[in-house]
Amino acid sequence: MAYSEKVIDHYSDPRNVGSLDKNDENTGTGLVGAPECGDVMKLQIQVNPDTDEIIDAKFKTFGCGSAIASSSLATEWVKGKSIDEAMSIKNTEIVEELSLPPVKIHCSVLAEDAIKAAISDYKKRREG
Amino acid sequence: MAPEQTSCQSCGDSMKSPLFCFSCNSLQTISNDLDHFEVMGLPHCFEIDSEELEDLYQRLTLEMHPDFFGGASYEQKILSEKSSVMLNAAYSTLSEPVSRARYLLSLFPEGKKLQTDELPEGFLNEMFSIQESLDEMLESGNQSALDEMNKDLHKRHNFIESNFASLFKKFEPSSENTEILQQLHTQLNTERYLRRLLDRLNS
Repeated sequence: MAYSEKVIDHYSDPRNVGSLDKNDENTGTGLVGAPECGDVMKLQIQVNPDTDEIIDAKFKTFGCGSAIASSSLATEWVKGKSIDEAMSIKNTEIVEELSLPPVKIHCSVLAEDAIKAAISDYKKRREG
Repeated sequence: MAPEQTSCQSCGDSMKSPLFCFSCNSLQTISNDLDHFEVMGLPHCFEIDSEELEDLYQRLTLEMHPDFFGGASYEQKILSEKSSVMLNAAYSTLSEPVSRARYLLSLFPEGKKLQTDELPEGFLNEMFSIQESLDEMLESGNQSALDEMNKDLHKRHNFIESNFASLFKKFEPSSENTEILQQLHTQLNTERYLRRLLDRLNS
């Protein structure tokens, strides 16, 4: 399997690995899985409640290089964006950036789902 | 639910597998859309006679392998290759319980309506925690903890496999009720995550 340079870069030097305090009311946690391969991905965001801007993001992924790279890239992209902007990140953009082959497209879908799940969790906890 | 017996294209005798006739030793011309169960002359059931499957596979391989058709006509060579490919695909899918269950599920037309990524409540969280624990154990080299985890996960995996037979038995193909199929599908989803963990432990 030929990984693109960017995937190798993210895999060997992943950005933003770790966790945020999930009990902090200004965080959102998305936990998603890919049943076709058993990948598990957790993505967390820290939001500035006054501006709705994502000020920090962390991830932890158990899966292949493409899955790790997709989630690493996702955390890079959401930082500094508003919640609405982050919601509109598409998996196709991740595929293009990382030159993912067809068999790994589902990794980018997983990353998009993880972003949306984290945002949805943040919104739900703000309401509750 | 016994499969239809096919008759040999040369001598008319009935054959277990439609690929080859043992009475007159002839390769059969076969359709491309035989499913794996049909290839092995088995009914479309989860429970199969594993010895029977193994035995038939060995016998067919010995008769049909392309290596034995070196001096044969071009058509026979092509046929032996095609049939051997079908035989190997059928055998590798059916001889393993999880792949057999997945395959059988895919044959049901009702399967199209299922929620494909459904998991039991809290399962993903649990998988994530176990993966994290595994990271810690591997880092610290805690062999006894690793062995314990391996044993537990194997037990869980075996339990899932043992459920397949009873679930498939409960399903009535003509019924509208897809609940049993959904349960099977969900079980098969959990299997993938457990398999991933087991692969990490045993690599």
